[in-house]
Parts: sequence; structure tokens; C-alpha cells
Amino acid sequence: MNDTIVLLYYAFLIQSIPIIAIAVVQDNRKASAVTHLVLLAGLILGFSSTVSSLVSSNSTLLSFTLWGIPNQVFRFDSLGLYFLGIIQLVAIPTTIYSYSYLNHYISNGKSIRSTLVFYVLLLVSTQVLVLANDAILFLICWEVMSMSAYLGMIFEKEKREVRSGSFYYFIMNHIVAFLLFIFFLLLHHQTNSWHFSDFHLTSDSGAIFIILYFLSLVAFGTKAGFIPFHFWLPRAHPIAPTVFSAFLSGIIIKTGIYGLLRTFQFLHPTPEWLGWLVLVISMISAILGVWYALAQHDIKKLLAYHSVENIGIIGIGIGIGFIGSAYHSIPIQVLGFGGALLHTLNHAIFKSLLFIGSGVIYQNLGTRNIEQMGGLVHRGKYFVMLFLIGSVAISGIPPLNGFISEFIIYNGFFTTAKILNNYYPILMLISVVGLAFVGGLAVACFTKINSIMFLGTERKEVKQFQVSFYEYLSLGILSSLCVIIGFYPQPFIGIVTKVLNHGFVPENASSALLNINWMFISLIFIAVVLGILVVYIWKRFMQEKYGRRTSPAWGCGYERLNSRMQYTASSFADELNEISKTVLVYHKNIKKPKQIFPTQGSFESHAQDLIDSKILLPGFRKLSSLISRIEFLSYTDIRYYIAFILVIITIYSVIAFLWV
Amino acid sequence: MGLILLTQGIISLLVILSLAPMFAGLVNKQKAIFTGRIGAPVVQPYYELKRLLRKETINATSASFISSISPVINVVTVAIAAAMLPIGFARPLISFEGDIILFAYVLGLARFFQILAAMDIGSSFEGMGAAREATFAVFAEPIFFFTLGSVAFISGLTSMYDIYHSVRLDNVSYIVFIIVCSISVFILAVTECSRMPVDDPNTHLELTMIHEVMILDNSGIDLFLYQYSSYIKLFIYAILETSFFYPFGVQNYTLAIVIFAVVTLILSASLATVETITSRFKMKNIPEYLLFATAIGVLNLLIYTFTK
Repeated sequence: MNDTIVLLYYAFLIQSIPIIAIAVVQDNRKASAVTHLVLLAGLILGFSSTVSSLVSSNSTLLSFTLWGIPNQVFRFDSLGLYFLGIIQLVAIPTTIYSYSYLNHYISNGKSIRSTLVFYVLLLVSTQVLVLANDAILFLICWEVMSMSAYLGMIFEKEKREVRSGSFYYFIMNHIVAFLLFIFFLLLHHQTNSWHFSDFHLTSDSGAIFIILYFLSLVAFGTKAGFIPFHFWLPRAHPIAPTVFSAFLSGIIIKTGIYGLLRTFQFLHPTPEWLGWLVLVISMISAILGVWYALAQHDIKKLLAYHSVENIGIIGIGIGIGFIGSAYHSIPIQVLGFGGALLHTLNHAIFKSLLFIGSGVIYQNLGTRNIEQMGGLVHRGKYFVMLFLIGSVAISGIPPLNGFISEFIIYNGFFTTAKILNNYYPILMLISVVGLAFVGGLAVACFTKINSIMFLGTERKEVKQFQVSFYEYLSLGILSSLCVIIGFYPQPFIGIVTKVLNHGFVPENASSALLNINWMFISLIFIAVVLGILVVYIWKRFMQEKYGRRTSPAWGCGYERLNSRMQYTASSFADELNEISKTVLVYHKNIKKPKQIFPTQGSFESHAQDLIDSKILLPGFRKLSSLISRIEFLSYTDIRYYIAFILVIITIYSVIAFLWV
Repeated sequence: MGLILLTQGIISLLVILSLAPMFAGLVNKQKAIFTGRIGAPVVQPYYELKRLLRKETINATSASFISSISPVINVVTVAIAAAMLPIGFARPLISFEGDIILFAYVLGLARFFQILAAMDIGSSFEGMGAAREATFAVFAEPIFFFTLGSVAFISGLTSMYDIYHSVRLDNVSYIVFIIVCSISVFILAVTECSRMPVDDPNTHLELTMIHEVMILDNSGIDLFLYQYSSYIKLFIYAILETSFFYPFGVQNYTLAIVIFAVVTLILSASLATVETITSRFKMKNIPEYLLFATAIGVLNLLIYTFTK
């Protein structure tokens, strides 16, 4: 065990080497190649040692020796290693893609050195973050992670939307960091230690328990993107370079989930109402997230709202886990937290797949507006297939990985109802229906984007559509993971069970996850694929026999169908948007063509997010007008501000002295 | 024992797959009689399928591989869903804890690809049908869970076979509950199988249709696969309905088969009646109709739990 841990350290070291390489190597192209190669080597070494220690470890390793020095700053427990594994697993394809992505910019003569540095910093700090046992180290990593993501995000800072979008992310990070400082200070105050392994409080500790939970829910929940704290996601994701938005959605928002799960380890058992609170918030996030996504036409914004939905699904699992913890029921906790953990992995995989796919499209077409795409399937068949795998997976449809984790969560509902009985069946039934509703909306949403972007004919002429080898490689890795977890979930279920056994439920007590008949489900999935193959071959045989040809689509006798007459994304989603007019703030501007010989007509539709446009933005505006009252203190000279800082520090120190 | 179960499962799957077109023919025949016509023979759907099988396939020029695999995926997923349904007392081929969720989601796979295939042509005809299918599916899925799901939650079981076997008609409030559930399932069947008053299975010429317009540009074996899977789907929902009458036929071969046949006949008659006497709804009223089904499902469940 100790050896593999030491290997992890080497992996981190190797991953940090590129910073030197970037400084030393003069040529941009070479610097990028060296950086990515070394990063990849470090990540693969790291991933293999993470997996081997995750599989072999039987207990949590708290103290160990590194090069002869005893060390307590890191913690190698299953939860941390599990998240570390997710990060490295997703980082490998993202890094492969990053090479090809940044090459485009190098060819255009843009400097990418600083972006590379931020990417390396982001990778290393996120990996160290989930291993930190020390609250201070955790906070340092947290800040480095958030800030390097921010700095990477403003790659195209000359654009106005980039500056405003990233500013929301920046503000969000400060609020979260501030709350986390209070959170850890309070925990330190209660337990007199900075070590995660010493943090433990039960609900008997009174108000402090509730305060800590609220701090954690708001702070980590904002980072994860639960509604109503989701405002930064649809703003930051579209403007970030694809590599960063893939990492942001795949990994960084998962650190919020990591934080929530750690909080649970510190503070349990949870009261039941807290479980319900998390469940309701998550359900709202899932439903509204997917509904808002349906109305979007900007592919990256749409995917960002889908992250809100999927975080909601993960949150539903966590909520079930909390309820199970309140009743000390092991099966409920196992299914709830297990579903959440597996969905975290799954979402990291398919969301980075979809983001990378959207990046490839953006690079080729120069637009993120899906209304201007179409017919791409005739340009890149295999690319479309890979994107389709991600879409089917994220909609939770069998036989891919999204179904597996949602299936566990559904089982969680049924088990909760069965064990707790009383009025629970009805509440759980409503939750089941909610999740089914989310699934239906997700199908509508992903059929929309796939069909508008890829199918039919080209709405705007496509000059070129090229997918490089590296892009195919990274998309291929991610989509084959979707397929593997879907068809053969047992090893992943095994790892999740292990994580649960070490830190969520008493040792070796969980069997609810393993009791599900995974073998049978795999068999059915294989039967589906075999069936499709057999019928397809039979169909081709029959077509050989009776003939097959192509002809223009049927237009009721009208022969001049053109690409502008196709169904559009707004018309596809219109009926559902109409129904949710109030929640969506959906309005249409229709100018009908008039007179006998009509000249012009126009149509536009707008959809906004109710919580964002009616609650958060007015709130922010009010806040800024409140703060502007102290505008008289603003000076153009920086020395005044330094003076202010000095004054504040003096006041703090005086207070501190008097306190002691 | 295992072999017998397996054989029973395979036989019931084969029964579903082979009798499905007959059920559609039965409905059509009764509809014709209601409207004063003689009508096509009950086996007419078989002839139509046979005819389609021998036709040349014509694909639209704008179509891609999606149009080519979608009918195949459709027929296979529907067959897999059929393999989860219990007929009579036989244990279905696919039966495990939680198969109720797989059942709903496997049909989702078919829907996903059918919508994509419709959009693949690039014609607004199909686009309109696809958008409607996506919209109504969002409201249809909750009905499934509010009806069968509520029976599952009451019994604490998650396998379709066990759920249907848990139905015991010895309590008045439970009988009422089951009857209202079956009404909701009926509405669900009407929606999912594109029958009146949601959709008209006989025409695609109006811009108001859903299922028929989605498969407008298909022909030959593609159309065969689509038609066949829609027959199977209709029969599947019919079986979801007839299975509520399980408790009468437990452990008696002949009785079970007789009950199955009689209930199926009654069901086809009621489908035909509804299709003859009602006209199709306006499209924008359909979500309300579906929400109505959801609402009676919820009310029913609440009433049952409070009178229990």
C-alpha cells in the first residue's frame, strides 16, 4: 500500500514538470507537445496506482512515511481515492484532446503558454485536493483549483462575454471560499484539530451541527451547481475554452459533491428533514435544469444546464442516503450514496465526452448556435456516432452507463418505501415519477440537439468538417467507458461498494448494491445488441433480395424543399416551452407576413431562467446599488487601498489581542 | 424446473410476437362493424406485413445511418419489453427485481431512435411528428409510474410478474383502486400506441398526426419493422391491462388462457368503441388529457392510502 502511495507522489511530481518545460522550451508547438506528453505519462502512472490502491486497500491509510518522513497531511481513504480515480480517468482523454485543441490556436499565432500553466496547475491541485487530510491544505488546493480554472477560462479575454461570464464564476468562488473558511474554522473550534480524520460531530451537538450543514450545503452546493445557486454554470461554461469547460463540468463541479460527502462523514447521522431538504432541492434542480436546457440553443449553455440536471440526480441519491442515515438503515444508505457515487463517475465521463464533442463542432463551424448547424452526419459519421453514445448515456437510457446509476437510485426509492413503510411509499412514488419525468425531458432535449445538429441537411454551408486523430482518440476512450460501464457494471459496483464500506456504513455491511441482479441486466443488454445485429443482417439480406434505392423526401408534391424549411430547434421545443411559460419566462415575437403579396415576416423566441432573471439578478442589482453607497471611498490611487488594508488589519489585530 | 420456466417464458414471448398483428386486426374489424361496414378480415395485418416485406426499400436522399438502424432498434427493444410481460401465470423470460424500471426505459430507447429517425429526413412533416412524440412522452411516462408504480409501492415488489401477482381482489377499496389504475393504463395505451383520441392510426395526411407521420418516408422492410413493432407495442399495452385480471387465473392453465382471451377481446372492443365514438383531440389539449390521467392516478392512490 505504502509503495503505491509513493508512486502517486511521483505521479504528481511528473505532472508538475511541464511548468518548467513551458518556461524552458522556446517553440510553442514543442512546448505544448512536451507538456501534454509528460502530463499524460504522469496521469497514467497516477491512475494506475490509484486503481491498484483502491482495489487492494482494505482500510484507510492515515499516516505513512514518504522518503522516511512521517506524514499526516494526506489521507488515502477509499472516498478520496475514488474521486482521484474519476479525476485522472477524465483528465487523460481531456489532456489528449487539449493537445489537438491548443494546436489550432498555435497555428493562429496565439500564445498558449499561460493556458498550459493554468491547465497543469488545475490538474495537480484538483488531484491533491481530494487527498488532503488537512483543512488548510484543502483550502489552498481549493483556491488554486478555482483560480487556475478562472485564469484558464479568460483565454479569449478580449471578448466582452468572456469577461462578464467569467466574472460570475470569480464572484461565486469568493463566496464559496469565504463560507468554507467559516466552515473549517467552526469545525476546528469544535474538534480542536485541523485534520479531516479528527472531525466528527453528531446531531446531539445542537445548533452548530445545523449551522455547519447549512454552510456546507451552500458552499459545496454552489460549487456543484444546485438550483438556486446554479447561476454561474450557464454563464461560465459557454465562454471557457472547451478543455476548461469539459474539466469544469466533468470534474470541478464534482468537487462540490466530494465536499458534501465529506461533510456527511464528519457530521452524521443526519436528521431526517435534512435528507428531505437535499432531496427536494435536488429534484427541483433536476427538473428545472433539464427544462431550461431544452429551451437553449447554445450547445455549451445547454450542456451546462444539463450539468445542473445531473447534479440534481446525484443530489437525489445523497438525499436518500441522508434519510437512510437518519433511520440507521444500511440498505437505504448504500443504494442512495452508491447511486450518487456511480452517477458522479458516469456524469464525469459522458459530460466531458459531450463537451469535447461540442468543442470539435465549434472549432469546425465557428458557432455554438445549434440553429445554424445540420447535416453533419454526412460529414463525420463516426464523430456523430460517438456523440450519440454520450447522448444516449446522459439520457439514462439502457444499455449505457447512465441507466445503471439511475437504476440504483430507483432501487433506492423502492427500498426506502419498503423499509420505512408508513407514508413513505407515496413520497417515494412521487420521487420516482419526478425522476421519470426528468428522463422524459432529457430524451426530448437530446433528441433535439442531435437531430438539429447532425441530421437533415446543412442549414448553413459547412466549409470543412475535420476531426483529428487526437480528438477521435479522446472521444473514443470516453465513449467506450460509457459502453463498458453499461454492459459490465460489476467491477465498478464493486469499487463503489468498497468506498461505501470504508466510511459510510459499518465495515462489510453493505450488500444491497451487490444484491441487484447485475449479471442478468448485462445479459439482457447483450441480447439487445445481438438482436439488433441479427435483425439488421436479415434486413440487409432482404434488401439485397428486393432492392433498395434512394429518392428525395416526400414533400406532398412540392419539389423545392430547401434546408431552411426543416424543423428547427425552437419549433421542436416549442410545445414543451409553451407549457412551462411561467417557469421559463418564454416569450415569442411573431410578425406575420401581411397583404396579398407578403414581403417580410419574422419570428423570434426567447427563454430565460425564472430563478436567474427574476430572483438572482434583481438581488445582485440591489446588492450592487447598496454597495455603491460607499463609492465615495473609491480612489484612483492604489496607495489608498493599501492604506485601507493596513487599517483593517490593525483593527483585527487589536480585537484579537483584546479577545485573548 | 428451470427448463420448464424457460420454455414457458419463450412460449409466452412467441405468443405475444405472433398474436400481436391479430389484435390490431381485431380492433379494426370491430371498428368496421361499428361503423356499418363489413371490414377487412381479422388477419389482414398479416397480409399487409407480408406485402411490405416484399417491397423495395426507398430511403430519402438526406437520410443517414440513423434511418437505417432505427427500425431495427425499434423492433428489438419492443420484443425485449414483450419478454418482460407475464401472460397467464407463466413467468416471463426476463424477470428480476427492478424490471419495471427497465421496461419503461427500454421503450425509451426505441422512442429515442424513432424520434431521431424522423428528424433524419429533414422534412418538417416528420419534424412535427417527432416534436409531438417527444412532448407527449414527457407526460406519458409519469402515468406509467403512477399506475403500475403505485401497485409496486403498495406491494413492495419491483418485478412486473410479482407486481401483477400481488393484486388481490379481496378488499373493496383495493378493487376500486385497481379499476381506476386500469383506466389510467388505458389512457396510457391510447397515447403510447397512437390511437384515438390522441392520434389517428389511419392517416398521415393531416399535419396533425404523430406516429404515422414519423414513418412517412419509410418503405419496404423498414416500414415492415416499424409497423410490426407498433403492433407489438399495442399488444404489450393490452397485456398490461389484461394482467390486472390475474388473480382469477392463478395456477389453472385453461382458466388462465380463457380469461386472457376474453379480457383481450373485451379490451379490443372497448378500444374500437372509443375510436368510433370519439374524435381526435386538438393537439394542444393532449397534454391536459395526459395530465388528467396522471391526476386521477394520484387521487386514486391518495384515496386508497387513506381508506386502507
